Amino acid sequence: MFSQGGDYDLLSQASREGALKGIATVNADPARRIAFAPVERNPEGRAESYGALCAEILRSSDARHVIGCTTSSSRKEVIPTLERHDGMLWYAAPYEGFEANEHVVYLHACPNQHIVPLLHYVLPRYGADAFLLGSNYVWGWELNRVARDIVGEWNGRVLGERYLPLGDTDISHIIAEIRATRPSFVLNNLIGQSSYAFLKAYAALGREGPAFLPENCPVLSCDLMESELAALDGGGEGNLVIGPYFAEPGGNGPASSMEAAAHASVLVLAELIEHAGTDDPASLAKLLGSRSFRTPLGPILIDPQNQHAHMPVLIGRIEGDRFRPVWKSGATLAPDPYLSRHDARLSPARPSLKVIS
Amino acid sequence: MRRPSIPHLGGARALVLHRAHADGAAVLRQLAAIGLSAEAAWPDLPADATVADFVFFDPDMACDEQMPWAPGEAPMPLIALIGTEAPGRVEWALRQRADAHLVKPVGNAGIYSALLIARQKFEERKALYREIDSLRGQVAERRTVVQAVLRLTERGQTEAEAFALLRRLAMDGQTLETAAARLLNDSGGGAHERSGRP
Repeated sequence: MFSQGGDYDLLSQASREGALKGIATVNADPARRIAFAPVERNPEGRAESYGALCAEILRSSDARHVIGCTTSSSRKEVIPTLERHDGMLWYAAPYEGFEANEHVVYLHACPNQHIVPLLHYVLPRYGADAFLLGSNYVWGWELNRVARDIVGEWNGRVLGERYLPLGDTDISHIIAEIRATRPSFVLNNLIGQSSYAFLKAYAALGREGPAFLPENCPVLSCDLMESELAALDGGGEGNLVIGPYFAEPGGNGPASSMEAAAHASVLVLAELIEHAGTDDPASLAKLLGSRSFRTPLGPILIDPQNQHAHMPVLIGRIEGDRFRPVWKSGATLAPDPYLSRHDARLSPARPSLKVIS
Repeated sequence: MRRPSIPHLGGARALVLHRAHADGAAVLRQLAAIGLSAEAAWPDLPADATVADFVFFDPDMACDEQMPWAPGEAPMPLIALIGTEAPGRVEWALRQRADAHLVKPVGNAGIYSALLIARQKFEERKALYREIDSLRGQVAERRTVVQAVLRLTERGQTEAEAFALLRRLAMDGQTLETAAARLLNDSGGGAHERSGRP
């Protein structure tokens, strides 16, 4: 259940591609005892369509597992349906965390696997004064709130925080504000067309003055994919991204982490169904923590308590049509969707003296 | 003012005072997913319950005797798992001073916000109680302050001068009330000397 068309088409199409390739991989594998027959629905980027289409899948077919959803708004629409019809959602998109539903397996990065390591990489290198941007829904709100806290932990300032409606591409006032406030970095939680318009306009600002070149004031994105680079006309060049996987240029692997994660979801599902001898979601949930899964993201574990995946973490610089890694986590990072283990006192740059008020 | 921060719940300990039932299990599952260490207890809370960070309880079945503290005086945030909405049971939960509640059947949602709401309410209440205690103390000591001012005015100071002196004395971290009590104490002997008695 991935949107074809709509505001985040490039992201959802990447996921759809990954899911279909995953199904093809399973069906072509002679060692597998099962094969998948996809039942497909297209919500066309309308959050309110997801719930009804999910219900249609679960009612009209014997499918119990839905690989799908891109935005958090659509995932929240689907959850009551999954609970009612006893289905399982395989959600393979980066998201803002603060959820752990028994009917969802989360197979892309959550905040301790994206925003937190990205800021910990950027703040000591570029400075702690932030300009925060977001599309006007929970992804942007929540990531910017986390950023606000971490910037505060590092004694930085938030010089601006602006939101645009989904699909809005009028960003001239935001560029003017960034020009006036001169932050050390811009956190871009805009999605789709708004994000592309911003990155292109920011590249133009960089041509006006070196203070806005990526080497001095980078734009950070937690959900930009290689498949979106073509839409930027080179506008993203030099800026920073984070993800559990970057595509190898010219390689045969998945073209983005969204594709890789959707592909991984199908492989994990196949593995669990074979192991359990049933596709009953509750039976599969009991086995989530039982093994390491071989996926295009590398071998991954799933935390059986919060049903989120352990993820590799890569930070990259946009270079042409690829993300060139500039930092990699040594091992996969255990998921902490509620940032319960985040401790400001562990911030490396925490000053030894602190004003007590 | 304190800056809002990423709520730090990791490693916090929660007790779930609920008989073995799907609702108790749902709470335990979700607490573990959030990152707390959670234990079920029924019918008795463990001996070290008073040092837990959160207690979930079941007003449908529980009674005062199960709580190792006086009603309303739990030393941690309490969250009521409400099933029966009979007014007597809700009233009992309120008498325990539940800081938040969840309605049964408990699902996957709601527990995280209940933790945050309960913790904030509990801390607000604690801060209010501290302030009330301190204000009560000040009210009780008002007579001392009046006596000290009278003593100083008897010695020829104006009322404004007397208050200013007390405030100066209080500046080294003491309250006005403590400064007044000390002044009365110290000046008590002096007054006797001046009256010429042995």
